[in-house]
Amino acid sequence: MTGGRGWNRARAGAGPGPDFVVYAALGAISLLSLAPLLYMARVSLGVGGDLPIAPSDWWGRPLSLEHYRDLWRGGPMGRFALNSLLVTGVAVPLQILFAAAAGHALARSRFLGRGMLLALATAFLILPKQVLLVPLYLLFANAGLLDSYAALLLPHLADPFGVLFMAHYYQTLSPELEEAARTDGLGPGAIFWRIVLPISGPGLAVVGVNGFLTTWNAFLHPLVLTTSESMRTLPVGLALFAQSEHRVDWGALLAGSTLATLPVVLAFLLFQRQIVEGILKGSSR
Amino acid sequence: MKRSARPLGVLPWGLAFLLFGLIPIAYAFGLSFQDFNPLRPDRTSWVGFANYAAALQSPSFWKALRTTALFVLGTLPITLTLAYGVASLLSRARRAQSFFRAAIFFPATLSMVVISLVFKSLYAQEGLLNGWLAAGGLPRVPWLLDKNLALPSIMLMDVWSSVGYYAILILAGRKTLPDDQLEAARLEGLSAWEVERRIVFPHLRPVLLFVVLLNTIRAFQIFIEVFVLTRGGPLESTLTLVYHIYDRAFYHFEMGYASSLAFLLLAFVGGLLVIQRTLLGARAEAAR
Repeated sequence: MTGGRGWNRARAGAGPGPDFVVYAALGAISLLSLAPLLYMARVSLGVGGDLPIAPSDWWGRPLSLEHYRDLWRGGPMGRFALNSLLVTGVAVPLQILFAAAAGHALARSRFLGRGMLLALATAFLILPKQVLLVPLYLLFANAGLLDSYAALLLPHLADPFGVLFMAHYYQTLSPELEEAARTDGLGPGAIFWRIVLPISGPGLAVVGVNGFLTTWNAFLHPLVLTTSESMRTLPVGLALFAQSEHRVDWGALLAGSTLATLPVVLAFLLFQRQIVEGILKGSSR
Repeated sequence: MKRSARPLGVLPWGLAFLLFGLIPIAYAFGLSFQDFNPLRPDRTSWVGFANYAAALQSPSFWKALRTTALFVLGTLPITLTLAYGVASLLSRARRAQSFFRAAIFFPATLSMVVISLVFKSLYAQEGLLNGWLAAGGLPRVPWLLDKNLALPSIMLMDVWSSVGYYAILILAGRKTLPDDQLEAARLEGLSAWEVERRIVFPHLRPVLLFVVLLNTIRAFQIFIEVFVLTRGGPLESTLTLVYHIYDRAFYHFEMGYASSLAFLLLAFVGGLLVIQRTLLGARAEAAR
């Protein structure tokens, strides 16, 4: 918060309504923006697939972990969650490492095609990703890699957001430390691992948490590049589950949705500042 | 001057970017000029601009554009007004601002699949909204099955899920306003309303323009919402360009045609970005 208390007081005092109105309105809006999620969690903790659970029923109806137990027993939801965890768990560390390496190289060295690469990466960032669906499908089909973990994982590694973010991060970081290490006789590899990476934490946190959100929530390419149920990720599995011909089991479906949301809540609670920073950086282009 | 880094570091990402970013785009561009069905690769042929011509003459393509236009016209005024209001409320909150900000922003981090599933349950025949209607003695409404209601139902969900995101962008814009400018305005005796109208609003204009652009670009790219809630129906009333691309490519295997649709999408989005750059550039010129 820039400006400190004086500015805030001035702004608050200048408003048409008293503080109370501001807080009441913000409270109502906050509740409204969280209500559908609380509803999701409440239905998932209910018994059977019954809807609706009106606010008056929230305390009256029994609570149970039935739907969550079912997820792990018979249903394929456990497998979906495992696939999502696996893909995210491998993709995000690689994204972080790639972003640091490529961002650092782009910021500190000059090579043929550097400007071109930066321009292409920036353009790619705003490109509608749906253009890639057909060619990615055909490429993976030709390579015999449809319906594989490679198909779920590899497209995530091309995302230029982290690279551009880190290139900018290193440009604003003084190269003095690295120069000193170089005069001490360290090679570029050692400088990267021992000097650069340890001071990249704040930037890599932004890259990591935003990479986590996009990978965990990814839908389009996991939908198109997989064909068998056992290869679906959580979002794809949930969406297709909701389309099944049978009557929808809302309890199970919203339990799965809650399961897909919990890691996001955790990431949000831990890294809210980094998420917002990533969004603001991404939007200023 | 010797450097402390080698260009080699670009390689891991650069390779992935080339293989799964640049080459696919070039591939898709080539496909858009071919008649290509992966089930009958032997019948592949170059057809020039025939795919593009067919798209421009296809009723579904225009329906998809109409959906996008309706979506923008229906959501943008509401989303923008609400986001502006929420941002100014947030800027007035002295205490607990970070709590309110977090609560309001949180939906932006959610998976669109999850959001769509929750709203599907709310809109269901036996869902919460109909439960309330029934409790009030009113008839149940087939929110997603009525061709006049399906799109507005999706639009309502979009407003809910995006207001917080845009509010945070606008709030960030408000915070870049220099304090002394506000202080000076207050000393001149301007009312809060006049400060908002004459100082804050003009300052926020680039951010607001960006929100307008972002909302429009997102409208062109709607897919998950439609995939989960309506599958483009009823009667193509919620058909979007991306759903149309998906449907043509992966249900009808018309991959050349689908690629031409994808490049039309690219052209629309690119055109919007050029317009935004021009407007912002013109404003920067005028400010000088």
